[in-house]
Amino acid sequence: MKKIALIFITLFYLIPLHAIEVIDILGGKANELSVAVIPFQDDLIENEKNQIHNVIKSDLSRSGFFRVIDIGGVNKLPTSLNDVDYSFWSGLQTELLVIGRVQRGDEQIKVVYELIDVFKEKMMVSSEYSGNIKQDRQIGHQISNVIYEKITGSKGVFHTKIGFVQKINNNKYQLNISDMDGFNKKAIVTSTQPIISTRWSPDGEKIAYVSFEKKKPVIYVQNLKNGERQLVANFKGNNSAPAWSPDNKQLAIVLTYNNFSQIYVMNADGKNIKRLMRSRSIDTEPVWAPDGKSIYFVSDRGGGPQIYKIDLKTEQIRRVTFEGNYNVSPQLSPDGKLLTFITNDNGAFKVGVQNLISNQVMKLTQGRNDEAPVFSPNGHMVLYTQKNPEKETSLSTVSLNGFKTQVINTDSVRNYEATWSPIDF
Amino acid sequence: MKKLVFAGLTLALLAGCSSTPLEDAEAPSDAKAGEPAVDNLSLDKLRSDSLLTQRSIYFDFDKFEVKPEFQDIVNAHAQYAADHPEAKMTLKGHADHRGSHEYNLALGQKRSVSVKDVMNTSGANDAQIETVSYGEEEANQNCQGDECSQDRRVDISYEVE
Repeated sequence: MKKIALIFITLFYLIPLHAIEVIDILGGKANELSVAVIPFQDDLIENEKNQIHNVIKSDLSRSGFFRVIDIGGVNKLPTSLNDVDYSFWSGLQTELLVIGRVQRGDEQIKVVYELIDVFKEKMMVSSEYSGNIKQDRQIGHQISNVIYEKITGSKGVFHTKIGFVQKINNNKYQLNISDMDGFNKKAIVTSTQPIISTRWSPDGEKIAYVSFEKKKPVIYVQNLKNGERQLVANFKGNNSAPAWSPDNKQLAIVLTYNNFSQIYVMNADGKNIKRLMRSRSIDTEPVWAPDGKSIYFVSDRGGGPQIYKIDLKTEQIRRVTFEGNYNVSPQLSPDGKLLTFITNDNGAFKVGVQNLISNQVMKLTQGRNDEAPVFSPNGHMVLYTQKNPEKETSLSTVSLNGFKTQVINTDSVRNYEATWSPIDF
Repeated sequence: MKKLVFAGLTLALLAGCSSTPLEDAEAPSDAKAGEPAVDNLSLDKLRSDSLLTQRSIYFDFDKFEVKPEFQDIVNAHAQYAADHPEAKMTLKGHADHRGSHEYNLALGQKRSVSVKDVMNTSGANDAQIETVSYGEEEANQNCQGDECSQDRRVDISYEVE
């Protein structure tokens, strides 16, 4: 929650190499730049995972825009501009080089780095960060963000947070918040009963979720600043699937009221509830379009579950997914142009993404039991749950560029039902 | 006994309150506490009858229709409810772990409503049956293939037990 006090001294900012719209990067063919991230000159050697260059390597690799070069066999590793042997690195087909220096005091840390274009033999960016010694990883993420924006023209999300459920055993469940790469995990809710459907509010201040602690599903909204939570939906039957309106003022929710699941809309404090539509089928998993004008949802009105969209003004309903007989868990990209969801592909449940302009569908993952996809706040990645019978349930990201998948290392098993903070968090 | 009749009345009144479909659930939950409504002889029947001791109805993947092989069990429970108007049961729907937690919650609910509908046509009173769903939350998260069929079910339980 606390804003990181990073002192930012110099930054040579140039025009990005490519200005890429979310919709343009959706493709299986990777558009990668090769980058060598050299270990920074640093006194700290014992805590390898927190070394700045390892944080940057992991971030850049996750994005799908960078191929991180293995420098295992290289003897002369530069840490300052004067040390760089350009012909050696271009010989290794390295397009970009990241070098830097770290100074650690008792309380403070200072990091200076340079991003270098190897072929042009030119420094692209250099800056210096100072902060508390405990902010070393955050400084690494900030550097990744600058590099990312320089290359793609879009804001990086490496400083953002995620929320997810961790099942410790059959009688212990936690709602955790961590950095987007799984580090700095802390529990904000602990319960003896299951928790599902975590939803970070667009303003970043709250998380809505479903808890079974009343021996049936009810909806809570938890304030992340003061830790207070409010029971916003405890109506007869099941209360589930909360979805924030883009202005944070309303929640779409699902109630069964002793019958099938139906979608309602209410104020975020639980007041002024109204039924959105009536059907004789399952209607669930509502999600607001970013412009607030429509709600996407899942319904089995046509037989199996498919994704539909209701225009909130005209109340006109339109079917959105047509490929396959099982499409659930819709979520939209921040620009509203892409829809991600889970699709049953001959028995394998995969993360799908549909271009809402061309309606072209692509499968981002291989399955077999993927769940709960959600876009990163810049729309370049999808965070989802990977469930494998042989392995433990874990969170992973997949990039829209190159379909690069990378596990989120939360240092725990059975993590699922994730949500992603907004970018200005 | 008196207490229970009163409780049943409260529930019936609530259920009949269709003009305001969104009552807070806190109120009626207290009213359930009461003495056993069914005498010991009937309880024996619940615990010994070859059909009534069967408490799980199984379903196909992403399906909610009660299959013919389970009709007899459902009918037996409906008959029991019809013969014992004071009996109250809960139908708890489940789904296997595949797909989404929310859709499975909805599917478990649809399965329990589907069992209730069959019971209604066989004479059980709506006020005697509560439908709930736990979706995939109690399912085996690692099952594969036929193993998963165990998780696609509705469990019947009686309040007095």
